[in-house]
Parts: sequence; C-alpha cells; structure tokens
Amino acid sequence: MGRRWLWTMLAALLCVAFLFPIYWMLTTAILPTSKVLAREPMLWPAFNEISLRAFTAVFERKPVGTWIANSALVTLGSTLISLVISALAGYSLSRFRTRAQELTGLTLLLTKMLPGSLIVIPFFIMASTFHLIDSLFALMLANAAIGVPFATWMLKGFFDGIPRELEQAAMIDGCGHLTAFVYVILPLARPGLAACAIYLAILSWSDFVFARTLINDQARWTVTTGLVSFIGEHGIDWPALMAAGIVSMLPMVVLFLLLEPFLVSGLTAGSQR
Amino acid sequence: MAKRERRFAYALLMPAVIAVFALIAYPMYLVFAISFREGKSLNFLALGKRPFGVGNYIEVLGNSATWHSAWVSFVYTAGTLLPAFAIGLLTALLLNQVFPFRRWLRSLMLLPWAVPGVMVSIIFLWLFDASFGVVNHLLRAAGFISTDVAWYTDEATALFAVIVPTVWKAYPFFTLTLLAAMQSIPGDLYEAARMDGATLMQRFRHITWPGIRAPATLALVLNGLWVFREFDIIYASTGGGPAKATETLGIRAYNEAFGYFYMGRASVIGVLMLSIALVAVFIARRPMRKEFF
Repeated sequence: MGRRWLWTMLAALLCVAFLFPIYWMLTTAILPTSKVLAREPMLWPAFNEISLRAFTAVFERKPVGTWIANSALVTLGSTLISLVISALAGYSLSRFRTRAQELTGLTLLLTKMLPGSLIVIPFFIMASTFHLIDSLFALMLANAAIGVPFATWMLKGFFDGIPRELEQAAMIDGCGHLTAFVYVILPLARPGLAACAIYLAILSWSDFVFARTLINDQARWTVTTGLVSFIGEHGIDWPALMAAGIVSMLPMVVLFLLLEPFLVSGLTAGSQR
Repeated sequence: MAKRERRFAYALLMPAVIAVFALIAYPMYLVFAISFREGKSLNFLALGKRPFGVGNYIEVLGNSATWHSAWVSFVYTAGTLLPAFAIGLLTALLLNQVFPFRRWLRSLMLLPWAVPGVMVSIIFLWLFDASFGVVNHLLRAAGFISTDVAWYTDEATALFAVIVPTVWKAYPFFTLTLLAAMQSIPGDLYEAARMDGATLMQRFRHITWPGIRAPATLALVLNGLWVFREFDIIYASTGGGPAKATETLGIRAYNEAFGYFYMGRASVIGVLMLSIALVAVFIARRPMRKEFF
C-alpha cells in the first residue's frame, strides 16, 4: 500500500517537472505584460493580477480565428482523405498476401526517412505547375502524402485483429465481399479507425513545413505559420503569443487524451511517428 | 486465390497505390531529376531548361559548409536521442508499476508528444529568453550565472538550446514504445525471479532488458530518423543560425531552396540525407524487418 503511493508521488513529481514548460505558458498568458517582462518573474501568479486580456487582444490584433479555421479545414480534409484510402488499403493488405504487402512495407519505411524539408521542394514545384500555391486543397494532399503510409499500416494491424470468419460467414449468407467489408468489418474496426483518425489529425494540425512553403497569402495561413510570424516581430508580445498558442493547442490536447489509451495498449511500435 | 478475389484485393489497394505514386514516388523522382539541374532560378517551372550535369554534386559535396551541417545533424541527433532514451526508459519503468492514478499520470507524462513542434519551439524560446526568461532567472537566483545567457543567439549555446526542446518532444515516444514492450513481458517471469531471490537490478538485466531490447532498437532507429529530419523546432527558433551553429542538413536544404533558390543544390543535400538515413536503416535492418514484415 505505502509503496504504491510512493510510486504515485514519484510519478506526480516527474509530471510537475516535465510539464513545467506548459505551466509557464499558461501563467504567461494570464498575466499582464508588465508582470511578464520582469527580471523577477512570479513563479506563482498572484490572484489579483490575473487577467484574460491577452486572449481577447490576440484575436483582435491578428486573424488567429481565421488561421485556426484554416487549420481545422486542412486537418479535416487530409484526415478524411488519408483515412478512406488507408482503410481500403489496410484491409486489402490484411486479408490478401501478395507482393504488394512487401512493397507497401518498403514505402512506409521510405516515407519515414523522407525529410519534410526535402519532399516539400517537389511539392512546391508541383503546386506551382498546377497553380495550386495558396490552395488549402494542395495542403491537404501534402499532409495526406505523409498520413497514408502511416495509417495504412496502423489499420492493417487493426484488421488483422478481426477474425476472417466474420466476413466469411457474411459471404456465405450471400453478401458480396465489399458489402461484408462495409457492413461487418468496418463497424468492428471503429475503435481502430477512431484512433487512426486522431493520430492523423494531430500530424496534420502540427504541420509547419508544408503550410509555410505552399501558402503565402496571410488569410490562408494555418495556425502554425501564424504563430511563427509572431517571433519575427520586434518586441514579441509574449502573453498574446502564449494565449494564441494555448487556444491552438487545446483541440490537440483533448484529442490526445482520447487517443492515449489506444497508444499504449493497441498499437505496435512501428505504427507511430 | 480466385480471380475475382484478386481483382477485389487490387481494387481496394488502388487508391493507395495512386496516392503513393503521385504524392511520394513522383516527388522523389523530381528531387533526383532536379539535383542534376545546375544554377539557380526564380522560375521553378523552367528548371528543366537549366543545364544538366553533376555540378551540384561537386559544389555541395566539396563545400565544407555541407560537412559542418552533417556534423551539426549528428550532434543534434545523438544529443537528443541519449537523454530522451534515458528519460523514456526511466518513465516507462515507473509507469510499468501498479499505483493509484497511474492512468492520469501516464497521460500527462506523454503529453509533450502531442504539442506541435512549432509550439514547442515557441515555448522554449520564451523559457530561455535572455532578459526575461525563467531559466536565466532561476540560474541567477541560484547563483550559477551573473550575466544573462543569450541561449539562442550565442553560437556556443544555440545547439544546446534547440536540443532541449527536441528532447522534451521526443522522450514520450520512447516511454510509449518501451512501456508497450514491458507490458507484453509475462508477469510470471518476475514472480519466478522473485522466488529465486533475484534483486531489482538482476530482474532488470535478465528479464526486462532482453524483453525490450528489440523494440528499444527499433524505437531508437525510428526516433533517430525523426530527429535527423526534424525541421520545425530548429527553423522556428533559430532558422539555422547564429553563424550556422544550428544548421542541420534539413535546415540547410530548405534555406538553399527557399532562401537562395538553389533548388538543385537543395536536392543534392536531400539525396545526401536520404542516403545517410538508408545506411542507418540498413545497419538496423534486423529489428526493422521483424516489425514490418
């Protein structure tokens, strides 16, 4: 009994240490600039100093709302594209053993090695050729290029865990293979699909290199490009920047808390990152 | 396999194959093609008209700045992997114990993984700010420094200052994979060892470590590849400076392409990065194959 609580204490202490950067971001956002730009910063924010001014100010001064909407659109689009393609391919790889399986494995490895700052060069040229610079659709496709290989392998693992007998029984009852897949297998794979979708969403929400290179028009920036634009400014408004950062991170933190149980129990090492 | 079945299998695979060709294979081909086009151009559509030759390779591989970047990449990768692996191993060992609130503490401990790289960068820029950063404040208060350290603008400390946030974002991946591996080790093994009077250290060496060695190697390779091509954290905080102190190969490639418009040279650096990654994977091919095939 005592030993167990000792572990809890130790883990809690480590969490405090590791999450200090996030704590500091929160306190910076809720204190006025005069208290933030101080040689002796307050480690505990005094209660009477707390203000939410930075949260309203940042939305007034910068199109943060637009950037978040753009990010949401791109994330939604690329997640959907990747998920549909990968669910079909993952099922195919799980049920049929062909050379295609090994080839896909190799492709997956290859994409894990591709630096974003390398693949963005041909993407930029392709987008220029098709007049897709400043197009959020091109950005969705770029994110899908990174997402599809991951998601395919991840979902293959989930489909492997669903017994073949289930769709075979449905097919004996007269279903076509496609019908069996859509009505029997996909509903069973729902937790896997959800975990995969969350994973894909976190990936494309975090994207910076594609967004920064393929989008010039400030009204179409995603939130990552927008946040980095604060840094170049003379005299960074830290409370505002931290407030914008918190708002932009919140959806991902919620998604992560939903995804986390799957990460430890369900997924193999190869399917992450 | 029946003919109809096979057609079905390929039909399902088709969208993925198209996506891989259009979005990965063709772009890769473009990189190789461009790496042989010499000179610089603001007109990216006319790259095919530039002279063909190996000039970019001679220029890039003969330039000492390239090898400086390769060295920075190496220090950055190794400097991140070692502490991140140590933290990941320790936290995984801790989280593998049974204790109250474990589920919540585990979530919190893994949280940095979900923070976008750009945001990680911004948070640490603020923590390590020269005048008003809390790190300098704490160091001053503890008496370690008397004058402010300009972490990101001093050549001597910049690389360290980009490694710290990278470690912070990278360790949860190790925690996660090592914890998953530890949880697949049967509990009876520990039970039997305890009966035989094995110490904590002996149990780790003879049960835990053999059980997690393969996944640990794989995680090192995967995380190593990720750190090696990491772009967001460095680009958003230093852009490769000061005086190229944090210019990894990835940053250098990007700057050549979109800072100076030398698409060809950038592509050569890309090809070089890919070759280095391939060599790393080839060395670690055994655990990789076990995981992927």
